[in-house]
Amino acid sequence: MKKKKTSNLYQINQVFLPPNGGVVIKMLKFIVKRLLLSVVILFFSMFLIYLLMNNLPTSYVERTARELATQPGSQKSAQQWIEELNKQYGLDKGVIPGFFTWLSHAIQGEFGESWQWTVDVTEKFSEVIWYSFFLALIAFILEIVIAVPLGVLAATKQYSVTDYTVTVIALIGISMPTFFVATVLKYVFAAKLGWFEPFGMVTARLAGKLTGFAWLLDVAWHFVLPAMTLTIIGIGSLMRYTRTNTLEVLNADYIRTARAKGLPENKVIGYHAFRNTLIPLVTILGGSLPGLFSGALITETLFSIRGIGYTSYYSMINGDIPFTMFYLAFSTILTLLGTLIADILYAVVDPRVRVN
Amino acid sequence: MAERDLNEMLKEMESKSRLHAEGGVDHLDDTQRVKVLSPGRLVFKRFIRNRLAIVGSCILIFMFVFCFIGPIFYPYEQTDKFYKTDILENADYAAAQKRTEYSIIKVDESVSVHYSVTNMMNYYINEMKKTGDDIMLVKSDSGEKYLVQYQADNVYTLNVSNLNRIGVHASELLICEFDMLTQTLTYSEGIVMDEAFGEMAKTAAMDNLDKFVYDGKTYAVENTGRKKYAVKYYADSGIQYIAENPGGGFEDAVLAAITEGEKTFEFGGSRYLLDQAAPGAYDIYKFAIGDILFVCSTYSVDILSGAAVPADFVKAALIGYCRGGAFSYNGIDYVISEEIENRDTVVNIYRLGETKNPYARFTTFSVSRHSGSGDLTIEFKEDVRRKIEEMIEQGKSVDTLITKVEKQASDGSVMVDEDGNVIYEDTKVTITRKGDNYTITCDRFRYLIDRYAPPFSEVSTDVHILGTDGDGFDIFARIMYGGRISLMVGFVVVIIETILGIIMGGISGYFGGWVDTLIMRLVEIFYCIPSLPIMIIIGAYLDAEQVNPYIRLIWLMAVLGFLGWASVARLVRGQILSLREQEFMLATEVEGLRVSRRIFRHLIPNVMPQLIVTATAGLGSVILLESTLSFLGLGVKHPLATWGTMINSVSDYNSMVNYTYIWIPVGLLICLTVIAFNFVGDGLRDAFDPKMKS
Repeated sequence: MKKKKTSNLYQINQVFLPPNGGVVIKMLKFIVKRLLLSVVILFFSMFLIYLLMNNLPTSYVERTARELATQPGSQKSAQQWIEELNKQYGLDKGVIPGFFTWLSHAIQGEFGESWQWTVDVTEKFSEVIWYSFFLALIAFILEIVIAVPLGVLAATKQYSVTDYTVTVIALIGISMPTFFVATVLKYVFAAKLGWFEPFGMVTARLAGKLTGFAWLLDVAWHFVLPAMTLTIIGIGSLMRYTRTNTLEVLNADYIRTARAKGLPENKVIGYHAFRNTLIPLVTILGGSLPGLFSGALITETLFSIRGIGYTSYYSMINGDIPFTMFYLAFSTILTLLGTLIADILYAVVDPRVRVN
Repeated sequence: MAERDLNEMLKEMESKSRLHAEGGVDHLDDTQRVKVLSPGRLVFKRFIRNRLAIVGSCILIFMFVFCFIGPIFYPYEQTDKFYKTDILENADYAAAQKRTEYSIIKVDESVSVHYSVTNMMNYYINEMKKTGDDIMLVKSDSGEKYLVQYQADNVYTLNVSNLNRIGVHASELLICEFDMLTQTLTYSEGIVMDEAFGEMAKTAAMDNLDKFVYDGKTYAVENTGRKKYAVKYYADSGIQYIAENPGGGFEDAVLAAITEGEKTFEFGGSRYLLDQAAPGAYDIYKFAIGDILFVCSTYSVDILSGAAVPADFVKAALIGYCRGGAFSYNGIDYVISEEIENRDTVVNIYRLGETKNPYARFTTFSVSRHSGSGDLTIEFKEDVRRKIEEMIEQGKSVDTLITKVEKQASDGSVMVDEDGNVIYEDTKVTITRKGDNYTITCDRFRYLIDRYAPPFSEVSTDVHILGTDGDGFDIFARIMYGGRISLMVGFVVVIIETILGIIMGGISGYFGGWVDTLIMRLVEIFYCIPSLPIMIIIGAYLDAEQVNPYIRLIWLMAVLGFLGWASVARLVRGQILSLREQEFMLATEVEGLRVSRRIFRHLIPNVMPQLIVTATAGLGSVILLESTLSFLGLGVKHPLATWGTMINSVSDYNSMVNYTYIWIPVGLLICLTVIAFNFVGDGLRDAFDPKMKS
């Protein structure tokens, strides 16, 4: 055992502190290369999205502008809205110059004023993002705590009743539409049992009255059902992933070796197998970290949690181009970041991977 | 070729040894112990050994039979609307209103009156009712003066005023104001004084005097504010004449009118009007009533035969009433007369020459059918009117009466006798008061859309296994048709994805080099573009353009297919990269086959197993995505049914709680179908390659 540990350490040392110093530089090169590639991909993705938004007929934009002008709280006339839109997004300049106009503003962090929320896009974003993040974080932690042990358990008892149960539960989790899970939870826990409220982030009659810890508790109470929904939806794939990878590890030679030398089974599973299972797990979980910021569009909308998903959903269906463009750019960046982190983590965690 | 020979050889040996074994014992090296299966059969055998896959297949077969064959045997279509007739207890039948608001009828549409007057008409009339005056002088914001005149109960008119200002009477008359800072003297309207008075007033104010005497009269000086002074004239009586003095005793007449609180008085054969300009100050006008501009009335007209009353008839009758009681409408002359009937004054309208049977009558009561169409009999209206007056007297808010109402057949239609006349029957009618409005309700048969019928409810001979939805559609039928569309969307989208993926991935993997790089970057771009937001944007756009639901369906499938090809392309490329190095590809090159043939006949078939696996799992996720979009109301649209739309129709909280029999079965079907596809996909993957990773 001690030998193995040292050998592992040695291998890791080889990755990070090689005598010839080549691997770290290789690694850095790889990261820089991937970053540059990501920028290129981001550029073209945003171009495609801009193309789509730009090709929505102008009448649509004009009507939106007119509607906006008649909205209470709007201090601009329809013509002013259209002019502002043209100025900001270069819709009158044609696709390519227009895109660069948008891009140059976006790089400076200017995404314009949201039509739907009548505040700056970035201001609205910073107002709502943390609700989404904490909701996603709770669900993420719950998923890991539930799915990983169950996945390992299913793999160690392959083809048993436990295995079948876990597999079926995982598949059901994958196969359930979010809105159905949310509706069932609302029906059971809000309508029938009355434990939770079906909508909202704070109790309506207490809105604005609660502060500090009481407010936090109230919000947490409202987050229970959405977090449950997200966990049920997300648990399946993680469970399956854990099971498959654990199975693969369990078939490896070093596990046979560990068993052959008479180690107790829980030591084999808990120490040798699990630690190796962690390699792909950490990779995929690390890769999904940026996703915590992207918001749960459907869940947030169904439970009226005013996070980034809810906000962007209403922006999208109401034709709020500034916010939609911002949200799409944001989620594209998150996806790219996720892949990048997963790739880097894979190389960092698993010394066997050759950085290339 | 060699493979087939081997197979046949083995089979031969097998049959030989079977012959041998019938008599003998099995040896370990007997070829019959080695079963040789074709790859296809091997996969099949592995597949059917997987219990979950079998369950999945059974569910899928059931779904297909249910969705595609079921509707043939089911009696209802997806858009069959179901109706029921039902006794609606206390259904709204009619509405009555005691009109207290005066509506304005313009005599001449072309004459415009400032809105400040028209808006205030009801106020003026109420003021006149309070004081009991029959004339009132009103001024618009733009300065015109009009006269409001009482014509009869409930009828008032707005007239042009012919005013002649005689003078100002004031027990306290503000003569002028003096501002010490600007040294200006402002006279009140209508008052003219000479300069000597002005000088005197100024000095008095500057010297801080209380009063001064000018021309034998004493004027008071009062400090009204910062360096501002008012010069007032106090007198018991006194008229500052502007026009000619009508004669001796006029002042007494004015005083008498003021002390009695009268607004108008007569003097010397002319009528005069007092208009209070300020406390204690009156403008005195001599006036004559001019043309009628508006008729304001709470009256409407009931024609006693029960026929509909045209608005123009009401207008003509009211104007006629104000102009002396006769009018003509559509060439027929009418006469209006006020009569006493049951101690009430009623205003009847007769056709010229008739005296016995009134043609119509004025009423402040309007009774109309709740539906707004059709007319009510005059008997009904009178009954209701009497009852409501009784209710007002007794202060009741709910009361019932028996009156004649059309008889209904059980399907809700009105019954008629042989001559086509409507049959009436005595019905108990309830009148409920809501402010000035009264609702008249009675039990009626109604032919209704059978909304939200619970499962197995049997209304009007149709049985609905799962009830009906909010549009009166049969849920079971819609589940079947909805399943068709959901499955079809799944298949079409996956086929589009796969074809696009095969072409792009095949080209990329086979050619490699810059083509490969280009396509792979494209794949990565498509990977990054978030597809659900894109679909929501397109859905919202299609919503705004109100696209036909069938075209919308095609759009949906095309866009979903176009957004999903990237993963297929990546898979195909990866497989081809390893396959193209193998010998059989070298062989195709040696044989000199075309590139397209090499890719699509020799490489792609080898990728098929993986493609089938991903396509099966993809079917499930496409069905999920489609139902999510439809649930959000952005996918397939009404009246086409899909599973998502059906849940969407009861997505608000109250319907969700009350109509569980709609969304629970549909939701379970979605889950079941997607689970089945996943089971089969898993089973196929294991069968094709037991070692393949997920």
